[in-house]
Amino acid sequence: MKTILKIFLLGALLLSMTYVFASESSYPLADVDIAEDEASLKRGAMIYYNTCRLCHNLKYVTYKNLTEIGFSDKEINDLRGDILATEKLSSTSTKKALNELYGMVPPDLTLMAKARKQGPRYIYTLLTSYHETAENVYDNKLFPGIKMPDIFAYSVALTAEEKTTIENKAKDITSFLVWAADPRAQERKSLGIYVIGYLIILSTMFYFLMKRVWSRLDKET
Amino acid sequence: MSKVMSWIDRRFPLTSFVKNSLTEYPTPRNLSYWWNFGSLAGVVLVIQIVTGVFLAMHYKPDSMLAFDSVEYIMRNVNYGWLIRFMHSTGATAFFAVIFIHMARTLYYGSYRAPRELMWWTGQGLLLLLMATAFMGYLLPWGQMSYWGAQVITNLFGAVPFLGDELVVWLRGDFVVGDATLTRFFALHYLTPFIIVAAVAIHLVALHTVRSSNPSGINLADKNNIPFHPYFTVKDLYGLCIFLIVYSYFVFYNPNMFIEADNYIPANPMQTPVHIVPEWYFLPFYAILRSVPDLLGGVIAMSISVMIFAAMPFLDRSKIPGGARYRPIYRAMFYLFIVDVLVLGYVGAKPPEGFLIPLGQIATFFYFAVFVFLPIISTYEEKWLRKRGLPAEVEQMMRCEELQKCERRQRKADRRKSER
Repeated sequence: MKTILKIFLLGALLLSMTYVFASESSYPLADVDIAEDEASLKRGAMIYYNTCRLCHNLKYVTYKNLTEIGFSDKEINDLRGDILATEKLSSTSTKKALNELYGMVPPDLTLMAKARKQGPRYIYTLLTSYHETAENVYDNKLFPGIKMPDIFAYSVALTAEEKTTIENKAKDITSFLVWAADPRAQERKSLGIYVIGYLIILSTMFYFLMKRVWSRLDKET
Repeated sequence: MSKVMSWIDRRFPLTSFVKNSLTEYPTPRNLSYWWNFGSLAGVVLVIQIVTGVFLAMHYKPDSMLAFDSVEYIMRNVNYGWLIRFMHSTGATAFFAVIFIHMARTLYYGSYRAPRELMWWTGQGLLLLLMATAFMGYLLPWGQMSYWGAQVITNLFGAVPFLGDELVVWLRGDFVVGDATLTRFFALHYLTPFIIVAAVAIHLVALHTVRSSNPSGINLADKNNIPFHPYFTVKDLYGLCIFLIVYSYFVFYNPNMFIEADNYIPANPMQTPVHIVPEWYFLPFYAILRSVPDLLGGVIAMSISVMIFAAMPFLDRSKIPGGARYRPIYRAMFYLFIVDVLVLGYVGAKPPEGFLIPLGQIATFFYFAVFVFLPIISTYEEKWLRKRGLPAEVEQMMRCEELQKCERRQRKADRRKSER
């Protein structure tokens, strides 16, 4: 038993080290809770549909996939129009137009929540770090020189109320992108409980079986 | 049943095989849980092969399709996310288990006679495992996959005269590209089966020399117990505990050991800000970077992996039980572990400021441990003998001497009678 404890302590030590290893970015990320509820996901999806989709693709997400976050077939039909339900969510602008406008094609957003360190916090912070510079143009504190415009107009929001509205929008789009990056997360987490529960019961049984088998030795000697 | 068995036994030694390797295979009764990690490594190997075969059914080793096919597996294949995360977490688990297995061998001096061949086949297995892991890491074709492979294959350019040709030969192209991906996939599918064969050799050697044990000497017959049921049940219990930890990462933290950059498709035109290898290569990577000259760094890194094989020669002490009865060796062992962790930390960070001298000191210390071990272990033994060994150790050494004498006597007798 002592050895098992030692092994666990060793594991805990190594794990805590990985937190030390994880390098910090220069600009602090906002510490924010991203909701996972359906309402927030749906609001986030609508923000993507109406705003982000002007420039960004979601190349691994189809219209049909949206049923997984609570959209009804009718809602999806309204969204897709005459596009097939199995089509991917893609930008409404052509690559050529985007290239002319920004000098690049804006990145695909599907995996963004995984492709940055602490992705959800990164996305939220990015959207709420726009500010006005002295020359009256926008810039971003997290990503100076960013080409993406301040779509939620955070840099010119005047009242605290306006800012909160935008922050909530940023939270919704973040929670939608977290789902887009890892749509099987819910299934994974709920299956995990059963697997780990089963293993705990099994290991307890093996523990007592082991005690019983080994007790034969004590009787002999 | 007995009829069937005797039919088989006349054609294949099944009963004697089960007897020799399970029901009557003598195992020291004093093994601690540290001795569970060998069988755990075997189980992880099976997990990796099984999940790997299923992944290969959906994966496309083509630079245009590879990244998308991995996402396809995670999103659209039934339980594809489970297979993929089991495989990616399995790589981490494999190295964790193997490193503990090695640390146990070092701590208890299990590499000593007569188990040198076990230690050397193990060293070969470590190299095979590293090669397999390195090639497998290219397959998701993310940014870190691509640039990791680019950096590591570049190292072969340091080989004198042949360097540049060698790099092109390995990559199949002037840069890491489609040709590299395809051949790495082919080899990544091949090497696990070579590992299986090498494990078989490792086990044949094990069944000849039997398990070492915390006391460091071969126990008398009465202290050996059959592997089954005592150690089958103990290994199963250990396996369950291991699987709980493993499942936690698979189900609740699967991206912990995947670099964020690897979710960006490989882009040969854009180098990531900071290229880091997987955690299990970090200490060796730190050693590579600590030597200012590239060729020197590559040599130092290769030696740092291979030097473990020299342990049976470097450790000159005759006192059994490894670190248990040897305070200086024990202190060296723990300092070495700390040093490896320091090197890992240095390897994970960009080489700036105090990390450069820190890495160099840690590299120096890493090799110093091995270089000074012969002298230190000789003097330690003298000092311990002068101070007086604990009675039990004296007795064990006498006991082992006795066993050796008896064996020699028996051999001599046999020779005499043969004449």
